Amino acid sequence: MKSLSQTLLKFAHLRFALLAALVALGAVATAGAQNPRIQTSQLDALAAKASQTVDVNIDERLMQLTARFLSSKDDDEAKVKELVNGLKGIYVKSFEFENEGQYTEADLEGIRSQLRNTAWNRIVNVNSKKEGSVEVYLMKTGDQVSGLAVLATDPKEITVVNIIGPIDLEKLTQLEGQFGIPELEIERAKPKRKN
Amino acid sequence: MNIDSDYLWDKTGKPDPEIQQLEEILGTLRYQPRPLEIPAGSEVRRNGDFFRDFGPRLAIAATIAVVLLGLGLWLGLQRLQRSQPQAVVKNANTPGPSVNPATASGRTPNEKQNQVVRLPDSDQKPADKSRRHRVNSALLAANRVRHEARKEAVRNPQLAVNDLQAGKAAKDQLMLALRVASAKLSFAQRKTQSTSPRDPVQNQHKIG
Repeated sequence: MKSLSQTLLKFAHLRFALLAALVALGAVATAGAQNPRIQTSQLDALAAKASQTVDVNIDERLMQLTARFLSSKDDDEAKVKELVNGLKGIYVKSFEFENEGQYTEADLEGIRSQLRNTAWNRIVNVNSKKEGSVEVYLMKTGDQVSGLAVLATDPKEITVVNIIGPIDLEKLTQLEGQFGIPELEIERAKPKRKN
Repeated sequence: MNIDSDYLWDKTGKPDPEIQQLEEILGTLRYQPRPLEIPAGSEVRRNGDFFRDFGPRLAIAATIAVVLLGLGLWLGLQRLQRSQPQAVVKNANTPGPSVNPATASGRTPNEKQNQVVRLPDSDQKPADKSRRHRVNSALLAANRVRHEARKEAVRNPQLAVNDLQAGKAAKDQLMLALRVASAKLSFAQRKTQSTSPRDPVQNQHKIG
């Protein structure tokens, strides 16, 4: 009888330890899942094929350094300063190719698999055969935006934008055309309608 | 009792029986030379002085404590002397104030620097002369370092230029990143706004 109770006690301890380990694993997994940083290193191989590459990595330290060079007196710079205030990082990777077919969907799978995480919510998905597609993802912590990811593709271009921190989407969108940020005129001339 | 003083004096006279009896009785207590026997496990306690007992140990401990205290004071002074010049050099060399002299808090760099070296109650009445002397020496050291930094900047302007260039490069990168992000978001916004109202009309046409 005594040995049975001891065995049961051992099992109880084992179950408790197992439960604790599972809780710890879950916490680690949740913490990893909530990370708004997207790894884009798998796209680096495309740099060899690209005619133009943009790779911007601004971490929190560099962001603070840059913020010191933005004047609070100048209205435009003040807007940018306000926009980037509190951000923990901006990462952009863009590849432009001379010809179509330089990349495949498999190249983007690494990015998409990260964005399929439940922490990310796709808020915009634009698909255009001529102008490519743009997917905008947001990660929220409570009511606050904690991360933004933009995946824009067209036959000759791949762009991944990852902003860490509480970004104001409206202000960021309105930034185009201001303060030396020219409109890139991505929206090309529309074809005439046939009557 | 008949006492013969010679017997009592040097045992040459006639002995008295009572005295002999007394001698026999007390003879057992006579001194007999033998080695000192200390019982095992006995503890010898001395009613000594505390300082006499622990004096050497206390002296060693006090010496170590004084050496450590001195070392700590010396290191603290070294760190203080090292940190003051750094703060001043940072203010003197940082390109931020040169681009934008008005800092976020509205203070000039000199005011910030004074804040670094000023003691909390240094502007109160100068009751403590040693403290006032300390403030003055710190200010003097700061001024000296600032003067040297200025001379260095005059001698080697490339240093300040490098900092400025690094900051500008980082700013350019930030602007590029924001430009790309803004363009893509703007495109998505335009697309969503342009397609939403048009589709129902087109659908109506198709249906009609």
